[in-house]
Amino acid sequence: MTNLSPFDIQARPNRLLAQALSCVLFVVCIGLYMHTSVARHRENAEDRVVPSGHQLVAGIRSAVLEPAEEDDYIPADNASTWERLRHSMIWKDTASSGGRFFISLALLIPFVVLAVHIGLFPWFGAGFLRFFLFFDKIVALSLLPILFIAFGIDQWSKIALIVIGVAPTMILDVTQMVKAVPQEQIVKAFTLDANNFDVAYRVVFRQVLPQVINSLRLNLKPMMLFLFAGEMIAASDGLAYRIAIMRRHMGMDVILPYVLWVALLLFLIDFSLRMINRRLHPWFQA
Amino acid sequence: MQSKRLGIFSLVCSLALLVGFSDAATASAQVPTFTVGWSVYAGWNPYFYMQKSGILKKWADKYGIAIKVQRFDYAASLDSFVAKNIDACAMTNMEALDMPAAAGVDSTAIIVGDYSNGNDAVLVRNNLTFQTLPSKPVMLVQKTVSEYLLERGMVLNGQQAQLGKLHLINTSDSDIVAAFLNNKSNEAVVTWKPLVSQIVADKSVHSIFDSSKIPGEIMDLMVVRSEVLNTPNGQKFAKALTGAWYETIQQVAAGQPNALKYSAAASGDSVESYKEQLKTTALFATPKSAVDFADGAEVQQKMDLVRQFCFKHGLLGQGIHSVDDVAIAYPNGTVQGNKTRVRLRFNSAFMQAAAQGKL
Repeated sequence: MTNLSPFDIQARPNRLLAQALSCVLFVVCIGLYMHTSVARHRENAEDRVVPSGHQLVAGIRSAVLEPAEEDDYIPADNASTWERLRHSMIWKDTASSGGRFFISLALLIPFVVLAVHIGLFPWFGAGFLRFFLFFDKIVALSLLPILFIAFGIDQWSKIALIVIGVAPTMILDVTQMVKAVPQEQIVKAFTLDANNFDVAYRVVFRQVLPQVINSLRLNLKPMMLFLFAGEMIAASDGLAYRIAIMRRHMGMDVILPYVLWVALLLFLIDFSLRMINRRLHPWFQA
Repeated sequence: MQSKRLGIFSLVCSLALLVGFSDAATASAQVPTFTVGWSVYAGWNPYFYMQKSGILKKWADKYGIAIKVQRFDYAASLDSFVAKNIDACAMTNMEALDMPAAAGVDSTAIIVGDYSNGNDAVLVRNNLTFQTLPSKPVMLVQKTVSEYLLERGMVLNGQQAQLGKLHLINTSDSDIVAAFLNNKSNEAVVTWKPLVSQIVADKSVHSIFDSSKIPGEIMDLMVVRSEVLNTPNGQKFAKALTGAWYETIQQVAAGQPNALKYSAAASGDSVESYKEQLKTTALFATPKSAVDFADGAEVQQKMDLVRQFCFKHGLLGQGIHSVDDVAIAYPNGTVQGNKTRVRLRFNSAFMQAAAQGKL
């Protein structure tokens, strides 16, 4: 019975069974949720803690089609769905959170370049490595009051929080990757008349880039966490801002769709990074 | 890799749901043990002393029940109350309406403890006024009494038309002092004591409006779930709690050193700072004063302002299409809103009994 041998490393469930197995926990989750929701609604028809399907649909509709409460925009009666979507709460929040997210992502690039230098050039290593080893252990969230002084309470303090939270880890990670490049290759490149920057960017950087992208993929979740923390502490728009506001009156009917939406966005970013990696570096076996 | 991560995620989810289940199961078991939740606030800190001093135990024993007192963060205490993990909870009139009542948890306010008489304030730099406020960012915890206070300030200063132009920045109360003081470009903030006291310690900041200008609109209540109250044991619970409260609060009002010391310690304040907070808290030290207030006609006008605010800001929920759908019942039998949808009740019977010495 190879079909029913969960503790056999060499057993392969057939395709259908594998698909079914991967769905089981989802179904269990949804089932438990529905059970809880039905039970709670039987007791209290207006329960908001575990919204029913009906409430969720209403919540999604208002998030996707209605403008945010603080906006002045009132959709015309004959506004098209697209028009409504473009002025909707979730669109506005996604745009502002997304802006912060991608700015911080872009700001990480110079740090990756710096990390290549730290790993490769002894002078850089001497200057930066210890500092980042130390800085990596700092819990960025506890620095918030200082960040507020330095960057104000607008956009930049949140971006700074993300960068300060994620950059040291990325730097240390990339430094390790660079150091793992065999010394022989570097020597060989020099014998072939490469200059220092050829070695850094055309030999080493090219080689570690797929690993860097993978490291970035793992750091997407911390980035989102820092973004959420920042937006929950002080903001006037953004995905986490809305969740914080909705929590004030138990608007789980909007919070749950938001949480799933964020999960989907993260999954898509992760997926596209993986695709880019596969396309750019077919030689790299992750 | 991906599917494994998802697997773990769903496992965590189902565990979380399971925990939710077992909680619901224990809460429905009927044992005469009741839990009261409270959070740090000048008017509620005496609950800490009430428990420490044994006053609560004395009253619980008298009625043959057990009462546990648990300190929470404010938001968490409301969540627990709505989730029915605790039986009674200290909250403001606004939260009583937009959290439990609007979520369909029928709730009864049995004690009107005090109202904010200056504890909440609108603070500004650079001599801003309500006329010049709309163009500036205002830091506050949105959708709380802070936003209510700000709107009332605008209305009472003739700036109702400008309400839509306010630029609000939702700021967590744990960081609002640091975030405001550390950056001179932040010009306006709305918050409550003791945070207000910390902010006005900076001489460049002054108050332009506070809750003493809207007396009685921000009330601090002890709210019990009606389904608990309507059981025989629940009645005993309400009586014991009310009796213990008035014994406690009379000691606090009389300035009994231990009562003040422990109430101040509840929020980590010094006795001086706590006394200062009490000055701007209109405590109903005697049950009679509380009954007079709760039975008066004014409460209904004030609650009407609050419920209109909640409805306008969507705090009553997506599914509520009329302010009357979350109705409020008063001690004299009047109902504000749809009579078939009463969700919040003011019940002065227990305070009345305390006033007559019948507890």
